Amino acid sequence: MGIVLSNIIAIYRRELQSYFASPFAYIIAGVFWLLSGFFFVSILFSPEGLIAQVAVRDQVGITEPPIDVAYQFLTVFLGVLGSLALFILPMLSMGLYSEERKRGTIELLATSPVTNWAVALGKLLGVVTFFTTLVLPLMIYQAIALSAANPSAPPTVMLLGHFALILMGAGILSLGMFISSLTDSTIVAAILTFGLILLLWVVDLIAGAIGGPVGAALGHLSLVKNYTNLTQGIVDTSSLIVFLTYIVLGLFLTAQSIEAFRFQRN
Amino acid sequence: MKLTKQFNWTHLKWLFWLSPMLVITGAIAGMVAGSWVGIPSGLIVAGLVIFGLWLAFLIYTQPNFWSRRSTQSGTNAILATLAVLAILGMVNFLAVRFNHRIDLTENQIFTLSPQSQEITQNLQQPVKVTIFSATPNPIDQQLLDNYRRLNSNFSYQYLDPQKEPGLAREYQVQTIGDVFVESGTNRRSIQTLTPEEKLSERRLTNGIAQITNSQPQKVYFLQGHGERSLEGGQGGFAQASQRLTEEGFQGAPLNLAENPEVPADTTVLVIASPQRALLESEVSALRNYLKRKGGLMLLIDPQTDPKLNPLLEEWGLQMSDRIVIDPAGEASGLGPGVTIINQYGDHPITRGFGNGISFYPLARPVQQRQIEGIQAASLLITSDRTTAQQVAENGELKFDAATDPKGPFAIGYALSRAVQPEPAPSPSPSPSPSPSPEASPAPSPTAEASPSPSPSPSPEATENQGESRLVVIGNSGFATDGIFGQQLNSDVFLNSMGWLSQRDDQVLAIRPKEVNNRRIVMSPQQQLSAAGLSLALLPAIAFTTAGFVWWKRR
Repeated sequence: MGIVLSNIIAIYRRELQSYFASPFAYIIAGVFWLLSGFFFVSILFSPEGLIAQVAVRDQVGITEPPIDVAYQFLTVFLGVLGSLALFILPMLSMGLYSEERKRGTIELLATSPVTNWAVALGKLLGVVTFFTTLVLPLMIYQAIALSAANPSAPPTVMLLGHFALILMGAGILSLGMFISSLTDSTIVAAILTFGLILLLWVVDLIAGAIGGPVGAALGHLSLVKNYTNLTQGIVDTSSLIVFLTYIVLGLFLTAQSIEAFRFQRN
Repeated sequence: MKLTKQFNWTHLKWLFWLSPMLVITGAIAGMVAGSWVGIPSGLIVAGLVIFGLWLAFLIYTQPNFWSRRSTQSGTNAILATLAVLAILGMVNFLAVRFNHRIDLTENQIFTLSPQSQEITQNLQQPVKVTIFSATPNPIDQQLLDNYRRLNSNFSYQYLDPQKEPGLAREYQVQTIGDVFVESGTNRRSIQTLTPEEKLSERRLTNGIAQITNSQPQKVYFLQGHGERSLEGGQGGFAQASQRLTEEGFQGAPLNLAENPEVPADTTVLVIASPQRALLESEVSALRNYLKRKGGLMLLIDPQTDPKLNPLLEEWGLQMSDRIVIDPAGEASGLGPGVTIINQYGDHPITRGFGNGISFYPLARPVQQRQIEGIQAASLLITSDRTTAQQVAENGELKFDAATDPKGPFAIGYALSRAVQPEPAPSPSPSPSPSPSPEASPAPSPTAEASPSPSPSPSPEATENQGESRLVVIGNSGFATDGIFGQQLNSDVFLNSMGWLSQRDDQVLAIRPKEVNNRRIVMSPQQQLSAAGLSLALLPAIAFTTAGFVWWKRR
């Protein structure tokens, strides 16, 4: 057990080092932060933003229904972050295995004494850690905005929302890792992953059209439904389980795919 | 021989792909059609048969196929994947089945109130909510899902009235957005949704509570003075009584001569056209009845005097002894003396009638003067072409163009008076006439007063003991058999009954869940620094590091 753990940690460290030593990862971070910052400013401070709109409403004298600007800002901003993550996450996961395939190092991984799932878990932990470092700085300026709330706002929904973002990110990254293990082209991996998560994002629309128990089952898989559930401040066990399912499924399929790769070579 | 075999193999190999294609086609066809009989199952079976043939073919052509290592590991991988998929599917199924939700929002805005939870959890029979709208509102759906999670007896459906015109007619849908609650044979409209008006938890819970409450409300019809009878036949109220039963009321005759006291379980008392005078003791029984919460419907035809004037005077009412003559009644072929009404006062009873028609054979005008503490609203207003004419001794109409008053007249009034608490220690009844929300043009759901079921002695609970309500119409013929079902006549009668019974006001006080009123107040300086941090500083750090790493690597 200890050996497996130290193997996982070794893989994890190698992954992290590769992220923080590559300019590519920093460019992704810069683009993500720039877009998030743009949406942050436009949601809150722009002339059509929340603060201005509510100020107009207050001047006109509309008091019903009451508005919690802080809560509304959080749900809208977290929704935008979720959509942004759709574009960022395939870029993070695309190189996980296809890069190894291209360089030929995958043979080493596949035949090494480290089990396939330990390698997959280590890689997933690495990329999730990187995604978390992308998300955490955003909380600084959200916290600045929330601290200006009157009366003061509890941080529960913000914390839960970001936890949901990272959890959903982990699920998507795990599935993306599996796709990246199928091909040695990073571009193909990114496009396929993007297509898959777009499908999972809107699957509840398809589910609504089908209806019945099949529709309900499909709708349960929807990323956007389960994600908004959590960002609104509801801890729904079934939503947590869906994301965990994606993580486990991605890990398992990756391990299977590498196993198959080994036998193909044999 | 060997050549032909080779030839067969190369081509048959591709036929195998028919198998998954057929299975998938069958599965999709079954899903879309919703039934698995016939073509879908046929396609799936055909796909499986081809798969079986392929396996047999493999064994035949390559006897050592199964003992190969790649086959073994491939089969293992497929089996393991299927097993993991099945396990994950099962876990998710259980997770949905035994779902647990914790509402971390500040005011628990996504959680039902304790009253709603209790009522929903105690549902014994299925209750279905039907919303006639093509586009479900996600917030409404969330609310309905919250109900459904509590009890599987609760279900809801959205129906598009344009796609289901038959059902829409069956439910008597008036506008898009009508919401109905039904349980067993009972059905009730509870709300009409608009883009501005969301589904109200208060109305929904009250609708469920009322529809599952099987105890019918009693409506007594006074008898003994030649009133309209509940039996069928000319001039009877059999149809009206039948419709009342469908609406969850129970009609019964009442004779006050034997025991001059209105029964305690009375919801509404109807006095429909007494031909002879009521006894003094009966009038005082009515007076006592009107001191408590309850409803009285008085339908008094012209040319009758039930000696109720002293009682009516207390409410500021006066029944004219003239007859309304409406030229429109004659012109439409209904006959002279028939009053046609297409103007209605603004009141819960007549709201939604628009300019619809109801008609009243032989009606007398009703007048009302303001009395403090009594909310009055005219319901039925005749056209300005009507006149009120006197009847001579010989029964002929005395037409006098000079003195006959000209319309419009009111021939129906709805009045309400707050029930005064029993003279208790505090001898000062509040002199301010508390405005009844029902009489105001647009009662907002939040402002509507309601008896709180909570045992806590809130100030409203002592003040609010309901109302005594009175509907007076100078005609009783409009609700008799044969005429009752025509035009809006039945709606006038049934809506009056609904308002008099105060059934919609027996509500549980459910405060709508609202968020805290909260603002983000930032000085321009703070805004600038937050914007600078988010838009400039963070991206700049990332891009600079990227450049630095790239330069170092080079």
